[in-house]
Amino acid sequence: MKIEEYDVPESLYYTKDHEWLRLEGENCVIGVTDYAQKTLHEVVFVDLPERGRKVSKAESLGTVESVKAVSDYFAPVSGEIIEVNSILSTKPDLINKSPYGEGWIAIIKPSNLEVELKDLMDSKEYYQYLKSLIEK
Amino acid sequence: MSYRTQLFQFHEKTSRLTDFAGFQMPLWYDSIISECSAVRNRVGVFDISHMGRIFVTGHDAERFLNYVTTNNVEALKPNHAQYTLICNWEGGIKDDLVIMKLDGQEYLIVCNAGNRQKDLSWLKENSRGYNVNLREVSDEVAMISIQGPKAPHTLQKLLEDDLSTMVRFDCKYVEIAGSKCVLSRTGYTGEDGFEICVLDTSISNPANALKIWDMTLKAGEEYGLKPCGLGARDVLRLEAGMCLYGSDITESTDPLEARLEFVVKFEKGDFIGKDAMLKRKEAGVKRRRVGLRMVGRGIPREKNRILKNGEVIGTVTSGTYSPTLNVGIAMGYISTEYSDVGKKVYIEIHGKPVEAEVVNLPFYDTKLYGLKRLK
Repeated sequence: MKIEEYDVPESLYYTKDHEWLRLEGENCVIGVTDYAQKTLHEVVFVDLPERGRKVSKAESLGTVESVKAVSDYFAPVSGEIIEVNSILSTKPDLINKSPYGEGWIAIIKPSNLEVELKDLMDSKEYYQYLKSLIEK
Repeated sequence: MSYRTQLFQFHEKTSRLTDFAGFQMPLWYDSIISECSAVRNRVGVFDISHMGRIFVTGHDAERFLNYVTTNNVEALKPNHAQYTLICNWEGGIKDDLVIMKLDGQEYLIVCNAGNRQKDLSWLKENSRGYNVNLREVSDEVAMISIQGPKAPHTLQKLLEDDLSTMVRFDCKYVEIAGSKCVLSRTGYTGEDGFEICVLDTSISNPANALKIWDMTLKAGEEYGLKPCGLGARDVLRLEAGMCLYGSDITESTDPLEARLEFVVKFEKGDFIGKDAMLKRKEAGVKRRRVGLRMVGRGIPREKNRILKNGEVIGTVTSGTYSPTLNVGIAMGYISTEYSDVGKKVYIEIHGKPVEAEVVNLPFYDTKLYGLKRLK
């Protein structure tokens, strides 16, 4: 799906803070959405969480920064960070080039997925959410 | 209330807009990074019409300006400009500005957008007893800045006057595309460049300003010119080690600690703030403005605390990612005992201390970039 210039892939889950989550086996791959990266514009720095860190849903994991803007990103679900995309340290612009692919940020091993997944938006809901933001 | 410059119709169609000092200004057109690169390596053009412009004329213009600013206006030759400061009675900086001396007792002041009203009131207030006339023309005049090593080549196509006869900080009346303009070889990027005040134009009919803007874009095309927004302007000035009023210098900073003493001429006679500054000088400055370059990973930002041995020793006043150097850079004030070049300090970024080093300004290698680069 696409709303204006923003991609909204169908199989993902979304937060109001513009993170996405993809289920991969028992784990969750997370990143920031196309809308988030286009709003930030050129990403020049990503502050990555440490592997092994236990996180709670909605906790700040780090920042994604452009030349002039800083944006926190938050854990869509609770769990443990089991992998981070360390390539972003040297190639932060992967977030602009491929926000849902090579620009993924971390993998979380969730601890309360069934409950917390219900709080996330599916692509249709996120599409409607973006629509309301754009129309403001 | 949000103001628009005379070139707004161009920005509206081509840029991401931002609010700056009450003006709707372009933040970037394509990309801050490529706009910075255009200026450092080729040429870029900026709309700086939001800045304040005041003509000062009258029999006492020179004497008056010498009293209200810190640099020596008497030493200013016709068709030359100087960087200077307006200070308050306590020696705090009210604004930094450029004064151009045009013909005889005619001066043109260019001040910061956010200080337009403040400066004008201050100048009026302190002009009692002086035979001067202050004419604020900020809204009527458009201002375009052409910056970068190819700036002279670009601008030369637009006028007959030989630009090679103008040195840094020279200024004069010229005619561009039939419009009367004040041209100066000045800028806020560290690069060679020119600033054009277009006089024959107005908010209600900005045709001449738009014409010169368009002609500049066309003239620079062969050099890879880019229109540049305030994002690039802020990065470029910081890379060059230049102060931003309101962040790096304010009424609570003085020229000594801001390391702007080179534009304070104590020997010139009386001027506002002189006594207070001399007292501060005698007492010795406790902190200094420094350049900081990140050693660890992170981008410093305004208001970040600067630490050493767990103690707060200063504050960041400007910080950014530098596209030219591909590293985080900042300016800030540090206690003098830690302010020497080469000292290692920590900047608290998102709650974590990250190592940084005090470095010389400008941040870039002056053999490769800026005015004094090796050709």
